[in-house]
Amino acid sequence: MYPLKDSPLCLLSLLLPPLSPAAPISPSEPISQAYSLALYMQKNTSTLLQTYLQYQGSPFSDPGFSAPELQLSSLPPAAVSFKIWHAMDDAERLNRVQEAFLALTQHLQLVGDDQSDLNPGSPILLTQLGAARLRAQGLMGNMAAIMTALGLPIPPEEDTLGLVPFGASTFERKCRGYIVTREYGHWTDRAVRDLALLKAKYPA
Amino acid sequence: MMDVCLWWRQPSRMVDNRRTKMSPNFRWLLSVLTLLHLIMQINSQKRGVLRDLKCTTNNLQVWDCAWKAPLGASHGTVNEVCIEDRFHSCHRLEKTNIKIPALSPGDHEVTINYLHGFESSPSKFILNEKNVSLIPDPPEILNLSADFPTSTLHLKWNDKGSAFPPHSDAVWEIKVLRKPSMELVKLMSFNTTLSGKDIVHHWNWTSDLPLECATHYVGIRRYIDCHHFSGRKEWSDWSLLKNISWTPNSETKAFPQDKVILVGSNITFCCVSQTKVLSGQIGKTFCPLIHLHGESVAIHIQNISVSENSGTNVVFTTEDNVYGTVVFAGYPPDVPQKLNCETHDLKEIICSWNPGKPTGLVGPRNTNYTLFESFSGKYVIFERFETLTNESYQLLFQMLPNQEIHNFTLTGRNPLGQAESTILVNITERVSPRTPTSLKVKDINSTVVTLSWHLPGNFAKINLLCQIEIYKDNSKQELRNVAIKGVEDSSYIVAVDKLNPYTIYTFRIRCSTETFWKWSKWSNEKQHLTVEAIPSKAPDTWREWSSDGKNLIIFWKPLPISEANGKILSYNVSCSSHEETQSLSEILDPQHKAEIQLDKNDYIISVVAKNSVGSSPPSKIASMEIPNDDLKVEQAVGTGKRILLTWHHDPNMTCDYVIKWCNSSRSEPCLMDWKKVPSNSTETVIESDQFQPGVRYNFFLYGCRNQGYQLLRSIIGYIEELAPIVAPNFTVEDTSADSILVKWEDIPVEELRGFLRGYLFYFQKGERDMPKMRSLESGHSDIKIKNITDISQKTLRIADLQGKTSYHLVLRAYTDGGLGPEKSMFVVTKENSVGLIIAILIPVAVAVMVGVVTSVLCYRKREWIKETFYPDIPNPENCKALQFQKSICEGSNALKTLEMNPCTPNNVEVLESRSIVPKIEDTEIISPVAECPEESEADPENHVVVSYCPPIIEEELANPAADEAGGTSQVVYIDIQSMYQPQAKPEEEADIEPVVVAAVAGYKPQMRLPINSAVEETAAEDDTDKTAGYRPQVNVNTWNLVSPDSPRSTDSNSEVVSFGSPCSINSRQFLIPPKDEDSPKSSGGGWSFTNFFQNKPND
Repeated sequence: MYPLKDSPLCLLSLLLPPLSPAAPISPSEPISQAYSLALYMQKNTSTLLQTYLQYQGSPFSDPGFSAPELQLSSLPPAAVSFKIWHAMDDAERLNRVQEAFLALTQHLQLVGDDQSDLNPGSPILLTQLGAARLRAQGLMGNMAAIMTALGLPIPPEEDTLGLVPFGASTFERKCRGYIVTREYGHWTDRAVRDLALLKAKYPA
Repeated sequence: MMDVCLWWRQPSRMVDNRRTKMSPNFRWLLSVLTLLHLIMQINSQKRGVLRDLKCTTNNLQVWDCAWKAPLGASHGTVNEVCIEDRFHSCHRLEKTNIKIPALSPGDHEVTINYLHGFESSPSKFILNEKNVSLIPDPPEILNLSADFPTSTLHLKWNDKGSAFPPHSDAVWEIKVLRKPSMELVKLMSFNTTLSGKDIVHHWNWTSDLPLECATHYVGIRRYIDCHHFSGRKEWSDWSLLKNISWTPNSETKAFPQDKVILVGSNITFCCVSQTKVLSGQIGKTFCPLIHLHGESVAIHIQNISVSENSGTNVVFTTEDNVYGTVVFAGYPPDVPQKLNCETHDLKEIICSWNPGKPTGLVGPRNTNYTLFESFSGKYVIFERFETLTNESYQLLFQMLPNQEIHNFTLTGRNPLGQAESTILVNITERVSPRTPTSLKVKDINSTVVTLSWHLPGNFAKINLLCQIEIYKDNSKQELRNVAIKGVEDSSYIVAVDKLNPYTIYTFRIRCSTETFWKWSKWSNEKQHLTVEAIPSKAPDTWREWSSDGKNLIIFWKPLPISEANGKILSYNVSCSSHEETQSLSEILDPQHKAEIQLDKNDYIISVVAKNSVGSSPPSKIASMEIPNDDLKVEQAVGTGKRILLTWHHDPNMTCDYVIKWCNSSRSEPCLMDWKKVPSNSTETVIESDQFQPGVRYNFFLYGCRNQGYQLLRSIIGYIEELAPIVAPNFTVEDTSADSILVKWEDIPVEELRGFLRGYLFYFQKGERDMPKMRSLESGHSDIKIKNITDISQKTLRIADLQGKTSYHLVLRAYTDGGLGPEKSMFVVTKENSVGLIIAILIPVAVAVMVGVVTSVLCYRKREWIKETFYPDIPNPENCKALQFQKSICEGSNALKTLEMNPCTPNNVEVLESRSIVPKIEDTEIISPVAECPEESEADPENHVVVSYCPPIIEEELANPAADEAGGTSQVVYIDIQSMYQPQAKPEEEADIEPVVVAAVAGYKPQMRLPINSAVEETAAEDDTDKTAGYRPQVNVNTWNLVSPDSPRSTDSNSEVVSFGSPCSINSRQFLIPPKDEDSPKSSGGGWSFTNFFQNKPND
């Protein structure tokens, strides 16, 4: 299940944004790198979600569990109408993805903390959550590189979580984790879609 | 009136306790009924009479008396109340009640007189404290709060105890009502004792239904039982109800949240919802919904099972959302088991325990442990989120100096409870020292070393017990215990004595304390070589004279390591006589012998071994042997690997006995080894790896007397006897018509492999071609066996044989190790010559006699014979023989009485002698059988036809190797002289073809192609031969090559060679001129690959 556990870390170090944006570089290269990472992430998202649910007990662990009505106000939903999505320009699209993964990174950290309380003896789940968070950070770095290459402003990092979630009940934490891992998958799908579009626009 | 009241009161008192269970409504109803009843009674009485004076008090200080106004008395009617107390006070008032200070005990007359509107008819009552009821004020609830997460109500009220005398008993009754139906969910009472002061009381109650799901109301009343007050005591009214309701402040709508409960308990979950709740489930199980108010519902779970790590989910599904909560069902901590405290270093105490039965709770709900030491009051806490499985928990406790006795209490706590176990230890008796480190060894002398090691720990107040393991190569390890005074964090040193010099020792150490608790682990091993000491014993010495008797060779054995006490560097050999002492130069160690030239005088040889420390005592041996005339050679046989030698005790022998031995086949001086045994022993077992079975050894037993040795016994022996490996070589000395004389030779000692015990001789009629005597031992009737046990006998005559008969003779030797191989031979006895002569002479004599008689008779009767057969004048007319018809005579063969048939000559062979035989070859088969090599080589011009084969002696050579293979090769000797002469052919010629010849015994085309360059050399000559047409088959060269006598082919062809068979060379001559020439190589015949090329035109 985790043969590539270490490889994304290596990938990350390669794909971190260049620190000196002095010389404008071709956007195709960071787009291609980000696209590869997003594709790689996409392969693992359903595993993460399934592993997560498996550890939360019934009904979460029941086969076919789905609760689309559950949403988190602090996490922007990935679902967007095609019309709106299509009408976005590159900057907006990248901004949305960037914001979403920023929020996801923080939420994944939160979910990881929650689960170390609830499932302290389950290193598999905790490792996967940690890996997902690192990949999300990596994708953010790639997105920033694309924005730099395209000459777009990089949105500032914000604390999307605030003080709200700490008093949450166990059930809320479980649901929160479910929403975060689910949205992580959805946002990864959307990022792949966005990057594919960019890739077509800026061929190598 | 009072009586009625009392009558009512009395039973009500009696049921006081039970009343707690009655509904307040019911009691209220009873009161109303009682009142109505009283009013009716009063109405039936006459008007204008005051009725029903009733006094109560709520604080025992003031009595409040009330009465009913007489009928018709309007409001505002003034009346006068006089109480006959100490002051006889009267009060005018318009009310129907009056508050008066509490009266002293006893009866008091109360007169109530209405002044206006009525005829003055004062009513008199007797007022006694006993008629006064104590009805306290309802208690006031100071505070009602709720702890929603635990569904607990906290009630707080003031007992107002200052209003009553101290030590009054108070009974409190609290009721909890629940909306919407205000059903009573809890009614409970409890007692307190008033202290004379105002005291705030608390009461907690945990609701089974989460408080969030319904509004709860709480009321309280009291009953004061004041012992000084003799009147009646009644319950107060209920206090004002206070309520607890939940104001939604978050999305959470299912309750209780994150509750930890005991496995198997019951729990109710509720869901506050504005919309309809569709279902409620715990885990996978859907539960029936219990409707509360509005849309809120509850589910009740009975006997909950243990949760998984992340808890059991409870989920309510509404039309538009999902609400849930998590419950953690587990167990309180088990009593910590196997609590054990010990220390490694007397600085830190390690307490370990086993948590026992798992609680099923993890994370923040996991059991945390507190280790509390009661004497010092210190504690340490163990907290871990994940549950350790199959692992003992442990905590470190820093020791206080000077505290030895520790009383530890380990308490495990989780949300469901706690459990503890205790242990009281004297920590100095629970020391398990750490592994000793830095083990070092230092020499003191060759038998004593010191060991030092480091042991961390504060052992200053105790004694250590350490164990030293001493391991020496090839010996058992030795353990020595040493007791050492403990010190703080330091090294320890001990001396280890009684060691052997120059020996490699391996030391390791472990420690404990004097009050033994546990050994530490063994330290690392340390190897050490002790220093050398002088060799403790003299080397074991022997001497032999060299074969020429001029030199004395001195042998000695290296000292065993236990006696050498060091590395032996050299040996000093010296010899001394009465006159002088001659010292030889040092002989370095690997050499263990020395040769010195000595005359035959008596010398004492001494050998000393030296190592770096010093010399061994000398070992002395006399150069000359003490002669012994009475010496016999004995035999001995050992068992397997060893041989036992015994001798009689000889009191003359004072030093020791020496047995030396050597392989008997070796030349002198022969010494394999020697062994010294003490002078008091009479036997010894000689054992050596060099001994081999079947080899003869000489053992010599010497006795020692004054350093001189005397040979006592000489023994030849075998460690193990084996069967001989060869058969005796035997020949037939003489053969007659009825006997054979056989003679054989000795078997060499090396091949005998044991002491020879005799020979077995078998003989049997049989031809060479007959199957071998398979079962010599089985006593076949035809086989005669002679067992020759006299081993000095070397000949045997076998008599009573038949003449001219072939006999099979077999001879075998045997030892105690078994029978040797057999050697067999076939012998044909000679013909009986006397019989032959008689057989010839008698017919000759008879023939002569017949002739003589016939001659005599013929002579006597000659006239008659003449007349009869030869008359004087024969008459031709009378001769019928002359009356033949001519024609018949000429044409008929039948009348030919005397026809001469041509005679075929037999065996007429003509050979022309030529110097150069024409080289003609045909393609006829040349069989080696058909060739007569003797003719070709020995005498080509005198062709001898061998038509008679004289008696042949065929000797079957016994070949052990062939015997094993199941067959023997036979060599045929011919009894006629010079039938062949050895081939003088060059070796290389014979080498080329014999294998082919040997392999091809059948058809061989005679014509062969030259396969080497010799063909070209003789090409010119060959051309002439090609034209020669007919060629005689006889080719001397061919015979030579295929001759069985050729050195290489003798053995292999001997089976098929037959002498005396006719040699047919005159048949089937092909007249086609052969294409090849006579080359020695080409005449071998036989199939080979070259034959396939014979038709090639250019070849």
